[in-house]
Amino acid sequence: MLCQFCKTRTATIHFTNVDGGDVQKIHICRQCAEEKGFEYLKKSNFEKHDLIAGLMDDPAAPPRSGHRTANRCPTCGRTYAAFSKSASLGCSKCYECFGADIAKVLKRIHGNARHLGKVPRRFCTDGATTRRRLKELRSTLRAAVESENYERAAELRDEIESLRRSLADGKGS
Amino acid sequence: MTKELQELLRTPAAWLRENAEQSEMVLSSRIRLARNLESRTFTHCADQAELAAVRSEVRSAIAEAPSMAGALLIDMDETSEPERMVLAERRLISQEMVRSYVNRSLAVLPRETLSVMINEEDHLRLQSFACGLSLADAFTRLNVLDDELDGALEFAFSEQFGYMTACTTNVGTGLRASAMVHLPGLVHNGDIRQVIDGLRHVKLSVRGSYGEGSEVTGNFFQISNSITLGLSEPDIVSSMESHVRKVLEFEQKARDALLKEARSLLEDKVWRSYGILRSARLLTSREAMGMISYLRLGVGLGMITDVTLADVNEMLIMIQPMHLQFLYDKVMAPEERDRSRADYVRSRLGGG
Repeated sequence: MLCQFCKTRTATIHFTNVDGGDVQKIHICRQCAEEKGFEYLKKSNFEKHDLIAGLMDDPAAPPRSGHRTANRCPTCGRTYAAFSKSASLGCSKCYECFGADIAKVLKRIHGNARHLGKVPRRFCTDGATTRRRLKELRSTLRAAVESENYERAAELRDEIESLRRSLADGKGS
Repeated sequence: MTKELQELLRTPAAWLRENAEQSEMVLSSRIRLARNLESRTFTHCADQAELAAVRSEVRSAIAEAPSMAGALLIDMDETSEPERMVLAERRLISQEMVRSYVNRSLAVLPRETLSVMINEEDHLRLQSFACGLSLADAFTRLNVLDDELDGALEFAFSEQFGYMTACTTNVGTGLRASAMVHLPGLVHNGDIRQVIDGLRHVKLSVRGSYGEGSEVTGNFFQISNSITLGLSEPDIVSSMESHVRKVLEFEQKARDALLKEARSLLEDKVWRSYGILRSARLLTSREAMGMISYLRLGVGLGMITDVTLADVNEMLIMIQPMHLQFLYDKVMAPEERDRSRADYVRSRLGGG
């Protein structure tokens, strides 16, 4: 990839500048970076919280309409402002009450906002496991349709249908 | 202080001596899992009573966990600051825990392969260490401990967000995998910058390590994942491992090129460093790291055969400032510490 600035040398530094809601991808060669005073990027030893604060919306801005976010967690009392400043939470219930905003922050940090991976034992009832499997299959189905792999999509549809029926009949048993 | 803690602090971890894959270029692998208890306030927002309750609940769960049989339980409230600083240099506790120690504890196996910090940023921080590049093994062991504790404790979890953590950067799997790598070849040929940029591009973070500040000393780097959500644990671990292997391939090529093009120069650097380490009367942390880096390279390339990688690994741990003060049992000014560092290194290498 060519440097966006000189358009002749290869870009060796790639970074994403996040300013409020603005996400800007920058590809630049070392020489231009040094000339333009991006030298500090070489260090890249941002404090974790500085970096996170850049991912958050302005805490002083009023919540937009249609937002579910509360101003304060009723369980631990953590405020929305404190959460926006540090991207850290006070208790597990904060994840529910700041849900919409957390999902947005997580998308920026991790590229998505849905857990895939280990599940504690108490969440491993048959029904819950089946529902998780269904979720996975549906997203695989979408991917198969998008890539026009209709044969695979048909198989997946059948599997989803049979799982769905078993869930309805025996609560996933 | 108990005799067990004394013993733990005086002797380097047993796993440092294990035979492991890629240990010429990788010092250690570490896996960490963050867990919190359901319906308890996260540590940074909790009052002392809440912290005490969390600690006692976690402690009894650990006592029942087969993986932690024989573990040492250290309440931070009963340790001195220098002791905590030694534990932090060993990465068994965090810097934060050196400062905030009330109602905090550490459970650790005598071999230091498995440990649990209680009431760190999250209620539980499970850690496993292994020698060389063995992220998968380290994960397997830690996962067993997590299963054992999952029986006794109710972890905060949601279907959408996974394991809920105090900071949103750890949510989901709560898993951080890291490898401490030694890359003198890439530093020497200058490709290290591109390698670091490349790793950042695939969302791995790289930090220089073992220095007294944040600057890179001794060509040691810590590589770790930054994404914890939306990938399964085995996927995170295996992709980390394959990226690290790629870096090691580059390092190997750089070392081969050095041997081919500048063998005498390299041999001179290695032997000169070995000589200095065996005779110096004063060694600053920085100088020692630089020399030990060459020594480690020389041992890895088979130039030096009377020192093992395990000896080098242990030295790297023991020459840290708090470790030295602890070993020589006194508070030391920097020059005095440099003297003790040189004494220690000479005694380890059979110097005069």
